[in-house]
Amino acid sequence: MTIRILLVDDHPIVRQGLKTLLEGHSEWEVIGEASDGAEAIEKAKDLHPDVMVLDVTMPRMNGLEACRLLRRQAPGLEILFVTQHDSPQMMREALDAGARGYVVKSNAARDLLAAVEAVSQHRVFTALHGRTVPELT
Amino acid sequence: MRLRILLADDHEIVRRGLRALLEKHEGWEVCGEASDGREAIDKALQLNPDVIIVDVGMPNLNGLDTTRQLLQHDPHFKVIVLTITDSDQVIREALDAGARGFVLKSDAARDLVSAVEALQNKRMFFTPRVNDLVLAGFLEKGQTVARNETPKLPTLTAREREITQLLAEGNSSKEVASLLNLSTKTVETHRSNIMRKLSFHSIRDLVVYAIKNNLIQIELPPPKTPAGPTAA
Repeated sequence: MTIRILLVDDHPIVRQGLKTLLEGHSEWEVIGEASDGAEAIEKAKDLHPDVMVLDVTMPRMNGLEACRLLRRQAPGLEILFVTQHDSPQMMREALDAGARGYVVKSNAARDLLAAVEAVSQHRVFTALHGRTVPELT
Repeated sequence: MRLRILLADDHEIVRRGLRALLEKHEGWEVCGEASDGREAIDKALQLNPDVIIVDVGMPNLNGLDTTRQLLQHDPHFKVIVLTITDSDQVIREALDAGARGFVLKSDAARDLVSAVEALQNKRMFFTPRVNDLVLAGFLEKGQTVARNETPKLPTLTAREREITQLLAEGNSSKEVASLLNLSTKTVETHRSNIMRKLSFHSIRDLVVYAIKNNLIQIELPPPKTPAGPTAA
């Protein structure tokens, strides 16, 4: 079954990089993109993605805020953070906000595919710099 | 026209995005990638790319120092600096280091292709937001210099303007001599005269002069669609 993915990051170049990585997987489809939290919420309403790849720091509405709202609006949606913030505190906040995954941008090329695989199966995947820690719920 | 590009950014995900963007352009090829400044220098010396795109914020050796060192090794290298900040200081440093292009990462998807094209055509490129800062900052500096020194800046002879342009375009004195059928010594004499006449202290001053006096062009991307009423 195809996993439908929405990419959310305020840098188009980063979105392009994520897209290129994800498109390698035959059963995954990038169905849309957004550049801030507010646009992410709009597009989630219209497009009903299975997984949202989400940045933390964005204008208008940041990723954590968007994540909290989306948990209520779209409980079936799994959220994976891909962020610059290589911090256990931020990761804890993201998981508390309802995300299932958290990877750091500097390792995104290494961790993204495993992270999307995990969260699409409703498993937690967290990886800070230097270590990969896949966890089962 | 075939063009070989070296990418230097510490984030592989960004390098993938840049590669996808650039390789859509016919004839352009990303010939190598580096994840820090030292690797960028090694690869540049090994691969001799036509254009090098360098992220300012790299670990071990940052993009500005990488640019300086690249140009010390070989002044022919053409470098575009990619940055998340457009502070006046970063702009000045990038120009001082010898970068010929300056693009904001947030605008890279829109501007990077234009930047590479500009460098391919021996022009410089600045993201528009940077242009305003550069010109305002340097214009102010130019006026201060003019007020404090001679009341009117001396004009250059036609030959001097020609040489100013070629130098601002990144040619060495030797190359200028070859292009103009002069001896290198003659060009160097002209170059000293130009620097002395206009009280220039660095190649950056010369580049700014060339821009202000339309001896070289800055490439601008196409204008955005008009927004609402302009602010007062």
